[in-house]
Amino acid sequence: MNAAATLHRTAFRAMGGDNELLLGGAAALDSVARAAIDDVQRIERKYSRYRDDSVTSAINRGAGGPPLAIDTETAALLGYAQTCFEQSQGRFDITAGALRAAWDFKREPPVRPDPGKLQATLANIGWAAVEWSSTTIRLPRPGMQVDFGGIGKEYAADRVATIAQECYARHGCVNLGGDVRVWGGRPDGSAWRVGIRHPRAHEAAMAGVDLHDGAVATSGDYERYVDIDGKRYCHIIDARTGEPVSAWRSVSVVAPLAIVAGSYATIAMLMQRDAQAWLDRAGLQWLGVDAGGEVRGTLA
Amino acid sequence: MAATDSKRRTVNPFLAAALALPGILPATALAQTVPDKGIFALDYLDYRDWQPGADRMSVRSPSLYVLAPFADKWTVEGSLVYDAMSGASPLWFNTLSGASGLGVTDYRTAGDLKVTRYFDRYSIGVGGAYSHERDYISRAGSLDARWWTADKNTTLAFSFAGNADYIHPSARELDNGGRDTLDFLVGITQALSPLDIVQSNITYSSGHGYFSDPYKPLDTRPGERRVLAWQTRYYHRFAASDATLQLGYRYLNDSFGGDSHTFDVAWAQSLAWGVTLTPSFRYYTQAAANFWFGPPYPQGFEQGQDFTADTRLSAFGAMTAGLKVAKEFADGWSVNLSADFYRQRSGWRAFGEGSQGIDPFSARWIGAGVSKTF
Repeated sequence: MNAAATLHRTAFRAMGGDNELLLGGAAALDSVARAAIDDVQRIERKYSRYRDDSVTSAINRGAGGPPLAIDTETAALLGYAQTCFEQSQGRFDITAGALRAAWDFKREPPVRPDPGKLQATLANIGWAAVEWSSTTIRLPRPGMQVDFGGIGKEYAADRVATIAQECYARHGCVNLGGDVRVWGGRPDGSAWRVGIRHPRAHEAAMAGVDLHDGAVATSGDYERYVDIDGKRYCHIIDARTGEPVSAWRSVSVVAPLAIVAGSYATIAMLMQRDAQAWLDRAGLQWLGVDAGGEVRGTLA
Repeated sequence: MAATDSKRRTVNPFLAAALALPGILPATALAQTVPDKGIFALDYLDYRDWQPGADRMSVRSPSLYVLAPFADKWTVEGSLVYDAMSGASPLWFNTLSGASGLGVTDYRTAGDLKVTRYFDRYSIGVGGAYSHERDYISRAGSLDARWWTADKNTTLAFSFAGNADYIHPSARELDNGGRDTLDFLVGITQALSPLDIVQSNITYSSGHGYFSDPYKPLDTRPGERRVLAWQTRYYHRFAASDATLQLGYRYLNDSFGGDSHTFDVAWAQSLAWGVTLTPSFRYYTQAAANFWFGPPYPQGFEQGQDFTADTRLSAFGAMTAGLKVAKEFADGWSVNLSADFYRQRSGWRAFGEGSQGIDPFSARWIGAGVSKTF
């Protein structure tokens, strides 16, 4: 049997979604997949804001208190969050998680948050005020919180690729809740075909990208949202204003790493009308569907 | 088009920040391209050996190693070691033990420096080394090349080194204490599967000059020595138990006659908190040199022949058991402690008879080290 020509598929649940891992090009792929998925679960346990024993919960509990010691991995993620904050001019902010609570997407019937409450929430948001270094972090005001939700899943996808390649799985594709990272092409030498979901017809692919190595991430208004008076308010919220964005239904970006593709896709949503110029300047391949349903981008 | 290309060449800020994340790029890919991190390591080794009724040599040896990448495609690495040796003259034939009388205290300082340039599929390194002790000076130069396949599953290594040594013993005048040696290496590292790696090296060394022990009045050895060695190592990773098994075998053919076989096995077990525990065991056996003569002195010896009574050139077997504990910290620091115990006996010789009348010989090493990647 030619083991190199076949793909080993593992489906698993983690990070609140359905995930898939395809591996090829080596033997003992069962244990390789297990090692990679263990790491996804490790990252979920470590950074989940829903777990009391996570690093995220410890940081948030310490808000307003003394500095808290952090490890290298957490410091590196904070460093990455800093880059996102700077590059988005404050639109992307890992302290902005409280805005999703203010915009209660589960409430029936849905309503806009009370302006006073929204202002109070905004007062506790602001990455620039966070005191952090490579060894400690301190959230200066009680009630401030951080949330690695916009980074952690993509970081986990890139780590899966690393772990599998270190175990000599030369071909692979990992899909963590829609963020895709591939490497080494398919075992037969062809490229991986990554489909891009239509923002309104969810089971349909509106386009495809052929990739040997790289990542595709999509950010969209269809994951969590409420419709109020005929206007859609999605869970992607500008940290500066507290208002959900509305210029794009979805943006997909191709980049060498999942974490980079994910940041570009989310920040493009937050950039609203400036997204097109911003993405073109970065020289990346992208595909967007604007609020009117028009398809734009280098892949259009 | 040109404008787009030039923009792509500028470093993407997200990519630059992402590359600082741990485990974002495979270490195997980095291992054979330019190391992106420097290493600083400080080690201390304490050696002691003994035979029945006598403590012999002890050596204390602090050492320093630094590797630093520079200018994108280059690394420079260097080490310094200082040995303080004390005790009896090393390993005198035990029936004559005490004849040399004097204890020995000596110091050795040694250093080496190597510069490597990395290309897409190969690397080239040039190095130099210098070692000095009271009665011995050694200078060496080396050139090595490594080439790897695009998938990095196969790496070939070639190296060439020249050594010029000079011995000027305090005990007596030598007409010519010089010795020149050329060393060659050809090696291959092959990944067989995701969890199996095999590594095989052939080395050949050819030396001319003074090989005798100047402190032993009756020690005269040939003026030429050729050594051919073939070493193979196999590594298997047990992913489920987070452990690595290492098996090794070396065959060595020596023109002095002391052919040897070495078998070794080690098990590196990862535990919690970044701790790795590595027990190891080695069995070694060698034939006696053609000009080795055993007791009672000088059995079988005729005037004018080459002669040695150095027990290191007798026929024996030896076992080494070791244990190493290492702990890695998240910020690039790591520490390790190791202990090795060595026991040598004529009766443990395999593939032939052991030399008669030689006392067992024991030694131990205790090591401690600390390192930091930067």
